[in-house]
Amino acid sequence: MSVLSRTPLSDGPTEFPTGPAPRRRMSVRDRLRRSVPGVIALGALAGLWQLSSVFLSPVATPSLTEIWSSMQAIVTDWAQLENLVRTGVRILIGLLLAFAIGMVPGVLMGFSEGIRTYLRPILYFVQGIPALSWVVFAVLWFTDAEVRIAFILVMVTFPNFSLFVEGAVRGVPQELRELGHAFRASRWNQFRQIVLPAITPAILSSWAVNLGNGVRAVVVAELVGATVGVGNRLLLAQSLFNMADAMAWTLLLVLMLLLFQTVLNLIESRLLAWRPVGERR
Amino acid sequence: MNAASPTALVRFDGVGKEFSKRGHRFRAVDELTFSVHGSERVAIVGETGSGKSTALNLLLGLTRPTDGEVRVIGLDPFAQFSELAGRVGIIFQSARLLDWRTAVGNAAFGLEMLGVGRSERLGIATDWLTRLGLGSFLEAYPHELSGGMRQRVSIARTMAIRPEVLVADEAFSALDEMTAASVRADLLALLAEEEMTTIFVTHSVPESVTLADRVLVFTRPGQVRRVVDVRDLRSRGRSDSEIEEQVRAGLRDSGAGAGVAGRPDTHD
Ligand SMILES: Nc1ncnc2c1ncn2[C@@H]1O[C@H](COP(=O)(O)OP(=O)(O)OP(=O)(O)O)[C@@H](O)[C@H]1O
Ligand SMILES: [Mg+2]
Repeated sequence: MSVLSRTPLSDGPTEFPTGPAPRRRMSVRDRLRRSVPGVIALGALAGLWQLSSVFLSPVATPSLTEIWSSMQAIVTDWAQLENLVRTGVRILIGLLLAFAIGMVPGVLMGFSEGIRTYLRPILYFVQGIPALSWVVFAVLWFTDAEVRIAFILVMVTFPNFSLFVEGAVRGVPQELRELGHAFRASRWNQFRQIVLPAITPAILSSWAVNLGNGVRAVVVAELVGATVGVGNRLLLAQSLFNMADAMAWTLLLVLMLLLFQTVLNLIESRLLAWRPVGERR
Repeated sequence: MNAASPTALVRFDGVGKEFSKRGHRFRAVDELTFSVHGSERVAIVGETGSGKSTALNLLLGLTRPTDGEVRVIGLDPFAQFSELAGRVGIIFQSARLLDWRTAVGNAAFGLEMLGVGRSERLGIATDWLTRLGLGSFLEAYPHELSGGMRQRVSIARTMAIRPEVLVADEAFSALDEMTAASVRADLLALLAEEEMTTIFVTHSVPESVTLADRVLVFTRPGQVRRVVDVRDLRSRGRSDSEIEEQVRAGLRDSGAGAGVAGRPDTHD
């Protein structure tokens, strides 16, 4: 290939001698500054709670210190902490299953108008069924607690995965599909090199939404027959009128969700490193 | 003048393409006949809606002709779609880069689709980008490149597969005049070094005369109204502006007065 080794054509590539400018990322300081209002708002909420704990019954609104010591007790005792970990693992397994199951109809609907007209109504229907109904069905259909929980999580979250993926597949610009055809991309390459990267942002958004849905659904699911798990602990706290424990479990669950979201954000910033980073947003 | 030659590299023979638009049928291309020989360079000009892009899509096998016959290197581009892999290439009006790939990743895309191994395709892509003046932008993402640079990457992507037939659809019309001139000059220099049959659509009459051996003037609905043999006219001592006048006369004949004159002819 001797021709290929020739010198650049435009003698003195005049417009652009040096290479791209380094990419800018938000500094730690900027990040901290951005989180100030959130911290203030949450602090105010905590203050209100503390204030009401002074005036109302301590059974209804335990003080922050009580909640804090409940949380400490949970975190330092594996027998307790295990409930949180098990719940977290259930969420992840349930969502992975739901994603795998939801991807298929999502992609098919994205590609085919015919399939879309049949599947869409079904998905909307399934999406409209409340989590509690799935709990009842799960109890009637399955005996194993883990199977029931996984089933409930899948049913609550998979339609959302499907609909997100469908929208994203349909949103892949016709121009890019044509590009694939013009270069004779195989079906697999068309999907792997064009469609999949193009829908990755939407897939990540659907995960962000479904992590929230999953956390909400899993505790409901765990009310039925699970002897371990945050849902079970919440039920116990309720039967013992222990509001401090109930609050502690709830807060830990929310913190776990935040942890998941943070991990998701890290994955996102790796997978979507190609995206322009604006200095204003 | 319009007969399709059986030995041609690209041959359209009485080709029609019908679309159905809101219920009623509509012919974008009708009885289109022309042929292009090996290493010939042909420009297509014509009023908007005269079926130029449709003709290129037929040539690439992206759409199926309603009637007539299209042959590219002896193959039916629609029915024998994958057999033309690597043998036809297109440069689009917009760069159509994949945002998640770097310049070199984008330039290697075509080779990757042909199954060329990673290090080989990256090497070839790097060479082409370097020839197009993008040697220091190999790892840049599309959003870090200017419009002209992006179009250069797309040119590298197509040239890297070394197609026997190169097709370009208004490849410079999305660029500003100065950038278009410099990208055009680069492509022209590449084409001068490569043996490649080239068919390109342009809205610039001077561009068609400068770049092509032959100019096909299209008229609605998708027919060749006139053929201007630039090379022949030049050998008979005609100046470029005289040849351009012939192309313009062809456009006027086709009743395209409004269609084409209304377009800014950027290179006049
Ligand atoms: N997929 C399609 N469906 C319906 N009509 C189409 C389709 N593609 C093209 N047409 C119609 O066919 C005609 C020719 O279109 P085409 O894009 O080939 O014209 P063109 O010569 O490339 O025009 P321009 O100079 O504006 O690019 C137009 O009237 C257009 O509306
Ligand atoms: Mg066009």
